[in-house]
Amino acid sequence: MTPQLGGVPGFRDLLPLEAEILREAQESLLAEMRRWGYRHVITPLVENMDVLDTGLGLEQRRRLFKFTDARGDVVALVGERTVPVARLVAGKLRSAALPLRLCYSGPVLSTDEGRFQQRRETYQVGAELIGASGPVADAEVIALAARCMEATGIRRYQIDVGHAEFFHGIMDAVKLPDEVKAAVRHALVARDFVALESLLEGTPLKSAEHELLLRFPALRGGPEILEAARGLVRNRRSEAALAELARVRELLVAHGIGDVVVLDLGAIRDFDYYTGVIFEGYGPDFGRPIAQGGRYDALLARFGRPAPATGFMIQLDLVSEMLTRSQRPPALPRIDAALAWNESGLSTALRLGSTLRLFGMRAVVDTQARSQAEAKAWWRAIGAANLVHCRSEATVSWSSDGQRTRSLPPEQVAGRLAGGVT
Amino acid sequence: MTQEDKLSIAVPTGALLSGALGVLAESGLARLTADELGRQLLIDRDVVRVIMVRPSDVPAYVDHGAADLGIVGKDILWESPGSHYELVDLRFGGCRLVLAVPDASRLNGPDTWPPMIRVATKYPRTATSWFEAHGQAVEVVRLHGSVELAPQVGLVDGIVDLTATGRTLKENRLRITAVLGTSTARLIANQASLKTRSAAVQSVVSKLREASGGDR
Repeated sequence: MTPQLGGVPGFRDLLPLEAEILREAQESLLAEMRRWGYRHVITPLVENMDVLDTGLGLEQRRRLFKFTDARGDVVALVGERTVPVARLVAGKLRSAALPLRLCYSGPVLSTDEGRFQQRRETYQVGAELIGASGPVADAEVIALAARCMEATGIRRYQIDVGHAEFFHGIMDAVKLPDEVKAAVRHALVARDFVALESLLEGTPLKSAEHELLLRFPALRGGPEILEAARGLVRNRRSEAALAELARVRELLVAHGIGDVVVLDLGAIRDFDYYTGVIFEGYGPDFGRPIAQGGRYDALLARFGRPAPATGFMIQLDLVSEMLTRSQRPPALPRIDAALAWNESGLSTALRLGSTLRLFGMRAVVDTQARSQAEAKAWWRAIGAANLVHCRSEATVSWSSDGQRTRSLPPEQVAGRLAGGVT
Repeated sequence: MTQEDKLSIAVPTGALLSGALGVLAESGLARLTADELGRQLLIDRDVVRVIMVRPSDVPAYVDHGAADLGIVGKDILWESPGSHYELVDLRFGGCRLVLAVPDASRLNGPDTWPPMIRVATKYPRTATSWFEAHGQAVEVVRLHGSVELAPQVGLVDGIVDLTATGRTLKENRLRITAVLGTSTARLIANQASLKTRSAAVQSVVSKLREASGGDR
């Protein structure tokens, strides 16, 4: 029987170019986070189920790959990485002074096939600012998310900023029976505005908040939208949210990213989890958000160390997909030198390889002796920029794209390649 | 999303096509005939690009952002919930999703259902969750066409299928015992289009809303 060479459905291999793009993007993101003083932490792929039960909502728990380990504990493969970071902050880092700035990178798994494609393993890079409340911390994390998107090489992008409390205030204020309220919430989360409309139509009491709910997808724009909304809401929670958003927006202008920020009062997210400012990052011509984040002040308390917190994650696989699809997609870096050899040239080839790598070049030494003609075929096959055929201690022949083949001592070839001279 | 500023709208082939072309014309966005679209599948007009795809493919085009907007029956959305926004009830293409059994069957209301009911349907997801909500064990046989035939040859106890007039059911000696839901054409939007091309999307949405007789 032939083994399944395609792998497990929902899990995919990343071939050299894809892997290179993903790794580069990951390094750019982590480097940008480090520049903002965030410390890299690595949490395991596996967590105890009681930790995940404490931190995750029902839907997220349902999608986890769960199994029992040899000791009989139920464990799961992580589906996101904020809860493990919260566990760390409440546990091993409990004596570390707050605020803490932490960042992470790694795969996350889901038993469900995604909404878009059959992908069950994806990659996330994220940052968490734990122990700081208020607009200054909110704005820092949003600005960091924006700079991270830039750092990966995404040219045009947009950050939508909203507030969970604006929604909570409206839901408090609308006068509806509890079961209708639950249905309204459900319709909103499902983004079903047709259902929402018919639910609200059937209710006698009309308020400004009613109207706001129906206009949810259109409640977006510049600072003027805050002014407009202020005229419509009649509840403290929503008003406080609007004031906070205005302040966050001012700070984002000061961060230098005012022109990519759009205020989105109709942002629909997991409202059981988020407690304050929320945001999403969109790239150009891409049908879904690539960055998501916001304030989650209730999570840390569940692990016994109450602390305000905000953070975000960038979907790394979507970033690399976007880069691959861009007008000038990144190319796989070329091998700088292909080092071929015949009977008496092997030690020269090995020495030359070490020298070139010391200068940071990519050098491949052949695994078998070849004649000059065979070596050229091998060179073309691996697509290297230069071919050095080592025939003896003293002389090698050097060919490069569009150049005549020359015979030179190996030191000279090394010097010229490292110096970028041809 | 398309590279240009033009918005793209996916319209479904089949029963909803004429209604979809009707609201597009009524709204002043694009005047197209089914023949034109049938030949080219993709037609550019001043404000919009119209693409024609199979009804069940509309959510995929919209969720992936290959179309900014889509016109699709609610019945399709029951089967493939996604990340799109469902914005407007376009009020055409009305039909009901029903449970129908052979005229001669003893099955009627829930109290007459067997411990395990077998139904054939093109809507496995909707059918399963409806029976589950009624606490009824169900075995769903997924078929792709001529569902009406299945109970007559003893494959299943009944069918869950869409009906507008009930004529096909009658012709196949089936009677309706329950209505699972009612469906009309809906306007759906890609989540990112709604955020990044907000003004253009909102303008097209309100034109279509008006053309369909909506008041907001």
